[in-house]
Amino acid sequence: MNRQTTPTDWKGAAMQKRIAGRYAAERRFRLMGLGAVLLSGAFLAFLLFVMVGNGARGFTYTHVSVPVDFKAMPLTIDTTRLGDADADQVIAGAGLADIVAFAADEALGADGSKLISENAWKEVRSAIKADPELLGSKTVFELPASSEVDIAAKEGAKGALGAKVDALEKDGKLSTGIHWPFFKNADATDPAVAGIWGALKGSVLTIFIAFLIAFPTGVLAALYLEEYAAKNRWTDLIEVSINNLAAVPSIIFGLLALAVFINWFGLCQASPLVGGLTLALMTMPVIVIASRNAIKSVPPSIRDAALGVGASPVQVVFHHVLPLALPGILTGTIIGMARALGETAPLLLVGMRAFIGDVPGGICSPSTVLPMQIFLWSDEVDRGFVEKTSAAIIVLLIVLLSMNAFAIYLRNKFEKRW
Amino acid sequence: MTFNAAALLLLIAGLALIGWLAGRARSSLLAGRAGTKLHSRPQYHGWYVALWLFAPAALFLAVWSSVSPALITNQVLASEAAQSLPSFGFERGAILSDARNVAEGKQAAVRLPAAAPLVQPYADAAHTYAWIGIAAMLALALAGGLYAFTRIRPDFRARTRVEKIVMLFLLLASLVAILTTFGIVLSLLFESIRFFRLVSPAELLFGTTWAPTSGAPQPGTFGGIPLFWGTILIGAIIAMIVAIPIGMMTAVYLTQYAAPTVRKWVKPLLEILAGVPTVVYGYFAALTVAPALREFAVMLGIPNASTESALAAGIVMGVMIIPFVSSMADDSINAVPQAMRDGSLALGATPNETIRQVLIPAALPGVMGGILLAVSRAIGETMIVVMAAGLSANMTANPFASVTTVTAQIVKLLTGDQEFDSAKTLAAFALGLVLFLVTLLLNIVALRIVKKYREAYE
Repeated sequence: MNRQTTPTDWKGAAMQKRIAGRYAAERRFRLMGLGAVLLSGAFLAFLLFVMVGNGARGFTYTHVSVPVDFKAMPLTIDTTRLGDADADQVIAGAGLADIVAFAADEALGADGSKLISENAWKEVRSAIKADPELLGSKTVFELPASSEVDIAAKEGAKGALGAKVDALEKDGKLSTGIHWPFFKNADATDPAVAGIWGALKGSVLTIFIAFLIAFPTGVLAALYLEEYAAKNRWTDLIEVSINNLAAVPSIIFGLLALAVFINWFGLCQASPLVGGLTLALMTMPVIVIASRNAIKSVPPSIRDAALGVGASPVQVVFHHVLPLALPGILTGTIIGMARALGETAPLLLVGMRAFIGDVPGGICSPSTVLPMQIFLWSDEVDRGFVEKTSAAIIVLLIVLLSMNAFAIYLRNKFEKRW
Repeated sequence: MTFNAAALLLLIAGLALIGWLAGRARSSLLAGRAGTKLHSRPQYHGWYVALWLFAPAALFLAVWSSVSPALITNQVLASEAAQSLPSFGFERGAILSDARNVAEGKQAAVRLPAAAPLVQPYADAAHTYAWIGIAAMLALALAGGLYAFTRIRPDFRARTRVEKIVMLFLLLASLVAILTTFGIVLSLLFESIRFFRLVSPAELLFGTTWAPTSGAPQPGTFGGIPLFWGTILIGAIIAMIVAIPIGMMTAVYLTQYAAPTVRKWVKPLLEILAGVPTVVYGYFAALTVAPALREFAVMLGIPNASTESALAAGIVMGVMIIPFVSSMADDSINAVPQAMRDGSLALGATPNETIRQVLIPAALPGVMGGILLAVSRAIGETMIVVMAAGLSANMTANPFASVTTVTAQIVKLLTGDQEFDSAKTLAAFALGLVLFLVTLLLNIVALRIVKKYREAYE
């Protein structure tokens, strides 16, 4: 080692420049990282902003005051029949729709009946059913505006319609309020009366079926694999198939359900039963994987202690391991259920995309689910459905985010370090 | 009187509860006598009776409720009123189901006049078979319960028996996963084979024209290449160009630079991106992103820019996948031993040099595995492409053009109103089979890589 080297001149200009460059690169890199995080955050914020911006208006609706004078235009019906089951047909048959349209023409000028929703008379009908006294008097009804008027009132419009809406507004004939039919009704072709209740109930029934099947099956399978199964070719096969199922595209489950549940077993098509079964198969592997992790984290000393005082292996698991693992299992289950609740593709294939104008009665009646309602509305040409779609998205996101928040809360609360 | 499975299930569940109480009481009584010692605690005797009461009856109920509708229909068809039914399938089915709905009380009156005379035979047959079913089920339940009840003796090993049954349930539950896998493979294979009898597999895999028509399959219209290309363009190219850099940099920042509190808050926030339903992303892509991109393309002077573009679907899909890539990268960076990082820093490398030259190369296999999983997820994604990428099969590298994917075509093929055995419908299953095999392959390879690499450090 007799070769002479000049020692590095740390203070020299060249070295200083090099170090400065390296530090600059460091800062740039760090900023890039921060930028990536902010960019992903910005995507999320933008998405939520657009949805809330479009959808907030979907929760309200414009109403027009229309005085209906039943003394001038009597509705001749037998008031004793209003309590009957066929009261709706009785009133409709008496020509209430025409009376309301005429009253609107009279109050709002020519074509006034076009300014209110074509279903507006149904509101009058339910008011009459609630209070038959109205039939003998002149009453001012707040009737839902037509979809075009509603949009014009919210966004402003040009042309004849805009002028008309402005005039109505000046006369104080327009009012805006929370749109209860949106929460109470099922799907309809008229945005003035289309609602999410049918889809929401369908979602609840579907998820209920999925939970009822996936949760016990998933937990029991996880217990078996984690606690009892011998390590052999069969349990390997089970394990591999569970892991693969968790990664199979959801639409494949739709194909399976279509071929097996509908074409072989002939189960009721487009129903929460078939939808729930499909989603159960999809979420079961997720629950198994989460449950196995929860069971694995229960320390072996607890099992040994229970075995030591004479418990049988089944007692050890059901009296000790399962209760201790339950918070972890529930966290995984809630997250899996939230994912199933937002799923659309497999349900599309089992026929849940049909237009369903009724609230589903049971698990075998045709129904739709909330994400499917969003999908169906997103295809509607009528502009009134744009804000309905976003409003439905807001409802769906609120449900999903609160489920996820609850799961995180549960995890933080019961997280145990042994 | 109809056969209501849910109510009957509740009935035998109630009977099982009585059996449980009876079994427990009987065994407690035995235990109370002087000089006897029960092998199992009374509740296990109760469970034994309850299981014997419930299981055979429930099994019968399951079989009966799937068999009895066919039996009822047979009896109705044998009746005199059914002789005048048309032999044509569809109309015949409509009349029968009309009569059935009235008989079951789902409808107030018949819609088709021809169904009216069938209502009474239907109600009668349903009545008969409901009573047969209920009687047989109750007989089974009581026989099972009595058998178990008579076996209660102090030395009877009820706990062991019950635990054996519990173990059987556990095993059955874990077999559901295998059954589902088999179900998927068999149903896809079965329908695909029917498809491949009409159209050759080579055409589906290598043909370049996708224009399926209903009716008899035309040669040369089931070429899958445009679909495969569209899938790759959206899922494996555009989405990954968005997701990989952002996801990687996010993981690097959150593991190496961010303060623990920042990380604690930002990570779940990013996970929200993965939790947003795909239909919402699809709507967002179609409503906001696609029109903006179209305007951008027009501004650039690109002809035939469409509102449904591969780019819109790909970008939004990439955003959806960011948390997925990021958490996989996060895991593999964290799995690199701290000593390697410390060593590099101790030699004077800046954190950025350490990350780029030590951590990422060391974590690369894991990251690659994660990316493969992300690709597999992207090519299986359906709603975003259905809503934003369009349905026209184009073989184009122009990201502003409309393309279609395998999943979007499966949806399109299966949501029309066609009979279940046309080539068009069966093609969906063949596409499903291809999709299943490709994602399976990607997953297996990815999991292999991740697992192998993990073991190297642990």
